[in-house]
Amino acid sequence: MNTQLLTSRPEVRRSSRGAVNPFRGQHRRRLLRADLLTVLFWASLAGAVALWLADGGMAGFSTPAGSFTALGIVAGLAGMDLVLLMLLLAARIPLIDHTVGHDRALEFHRKLGKPALYLLLAHGILVATGYGMAEGLDPVSEAVALWVLVPDMWLAYISMLLFIAVVVTSLVAVRRRFPYEFWYAVHLLTYAAVLTALPHQFSVGGLFAEGTWQRWYWLALCIATGTALLYYRVARPLVATFRHQLTVKRVVRVAPGVVSIEMSGLGLDQLAGSGGRFFIWRFLAPGLWWHPHPFSLSADPISFDAAGQGTLRITVRNLGRGSAQLAALKPGTKVALEGPYGLFSTAARSRNHVVMVGAGIGITPIRALLESTPFQPGDATVILRGHSESELYLGEEILALCQQRGATLFHLTGSRPAGIRTWLPESSVRAGHRLASYDPNVADADVYVCGPAAWAQSVLEDARAAGVREDQLHYERFDW
Amino acid sequence: MRTRAAVSAALASAGILIAGWQSGVHIADTSSSVASTATGTTGSTGSTGSTGSTGSSATSGSAGSSGSTGSSGSTGSSGASSASGTTGASAKAVGTYAGSVVQTRFGSVQVQITVQAGKITDVTALQLTDAERRSVQISNQAAPLLRDEVLQAQSANVQTISGATVTSDAYLNSLQAALDAANL
Repeated sequence: MNTQLLTSRPEVRRSSRGAVNPFRGQHRRRLLRADLLTVLFWASLAGAVALWLADGGMAGFSTPAGSFTALGIVAGLAGMDLVLLMLLLAARIPLIDHTVGHDRALEFHRKLGKPALYLLLAHGILVATGYGMAEGLDPVSEAVALWVLVPDMWLAYISMLLFIAVVVTSLVAVRRRFPYEFWYAVHLLTYAAVLTALPHQFSVGGLFAEGTWQRWYWLALCIATGTALLYYRVARPLVATFRHQLTVKRVVRVAPGVVSIEMSGLGLDQLAGSGGRFFIWRFLAPGLWWHPHPFSLSADPISFDAAGQGTLRITVRNLGRGSAQLAALKPGTKVALEGPYGLFSTAARSRNHVVMVGAGIGITPIRALLESTPFQPGDATVILRGHSESELYLGEEILALCQQRGATLFHLTGSRPAGIRTWLPESSVRAGHRLASYDPNVADADVYVCGPAAWAQSVLEDARAAGVREDQLHYERFDW
Repeated sequence: MRTRAAVSAALASAGILIAGWQSGVHIADTSSSVASTATGTTGSTGSTGSTGSTGSSATSGSAGSSGSTGSSGSTGSSGASSASGTTGASAKAVGTYAGSVVQTRFGSVQVQITVQAGKITDVTALQLTDAERRSVQISNQAAPLLRDEVLQAQSANVQTISGATVTSDAYLNSLQAALDAANL
């Protein structure tokens, strides 16, 4: 038997229909923030073009050469704006993280990479063509002339090459061939690319000329982006690391290749409710300290006293070279942390009813969420998926929590049927089961999904088919 | 909700773009009106030039040369020489000669020289690179320096100004054309 109903629904099922929904307010605010961010995104692009228009940019279209130059300048401005927006999306700004989640922000960041590069390339080609036409030169000789004659332009050429390198190494096909560290190192060049691009904008670009308020707008935008990056990606993590003083307490083997790492620290009461959200961990041991690990908490932080002294726990599977070394961590190892990030938490709730679906190591944040997210007995369903019972990590803890809180628990084990795209084991598929078979109220529930990307996509498709709206779906992507 | 975001984003962007466009149109209007005034002045000077060819005075002759600036420098110089010829005091006459219009990626450049007794006494820039504000800055810095150099060297054979290579080259090319016209 590989589909098990482990706790029956409580006899008296409190209906969530018609009950007060405590999550409605936070949900509405979150959607409002999401819309606001969308508006800000487009407004900043429109602003880049509008500032150029306000500078009399349209006058350039009176001649063919001027038209090329004008289009090139617009492409450059839009490209610059996109690059700054990409940096802001990756800056882990709490407003963005609380609204769309860190993973969704990074997904959007990735989507913008190619358009930004195309705009910058178009900028270079169009401006060289336009200048060349005005002077009777072909674009290539013009490009060479710009390189040689105009100050700061050689930096802009370097910047262009760096941008190309960054985007190319981030293409999925290329990225898989190289280790994470290589990609990360190349990605750091983005900062060099932006910095080398700036001088020619301010010295050669007419729009940024001294005394124009356009200059101040762009200067302010660049400084704000730089400050956000420094503050949220450097200062805040350092403060958190010193505040919480985490050290490894013990490493417990949960299953073959899976360990739970318990850490003790200070001020952990401030992290209450972050169960299920993820932190970026650095274990300060030789050969490990420079490797950042993104892992979710597998239990809500426990604090023993008013000072917030307590423990927190992550559960990790031996997935890569880095994770393998974690099993050998010695107690007492200091830990640096960045976070918490993500929306895999109560902050994303919109309904009374909740359905949590986890597979493999993705079960562990489900465990933490189940522990802390509020629901009435009977209003939660937990579905765990693995090849075998032994792969349902923390299964016993989850069973105990379900019994204690009145959640319905299903264990779905076994292989997928061959040739069909599904998240269910073969027996369930044969029985005609779908997500709605496990929870008939799924259409009116928040659905949390955590597991491998392809599998999670199947769950999400099933949920959408069952009538779950996009804003009720909450999922964390594993692969970087 | 997505619709709300799309609609507000579209409205906000459209508003911002229209605001930018409106203030931009204002600037474009100003510059085109300036341009039309300039054409008007040249036209009237041109008619003075025709008076100049009647041979009334050397001053009107020089006005005639500047009037023909509109078409090309060489015509202007021939007009001026005929004017000075009528006065019969060619050696002492003050002549102005406009160089050719040189196109650069930052705008067109044209200079005019004033010649007295076979010496360049003044160089005026009729047009300077002005494509973008930065070009205007560069031009304003470079033009006086070039003028001083030219007056000192009495030829177009001078150093270009660093950081204003394009402007300098165009300036000196136009100057050479003016010198040729003046037979200097």
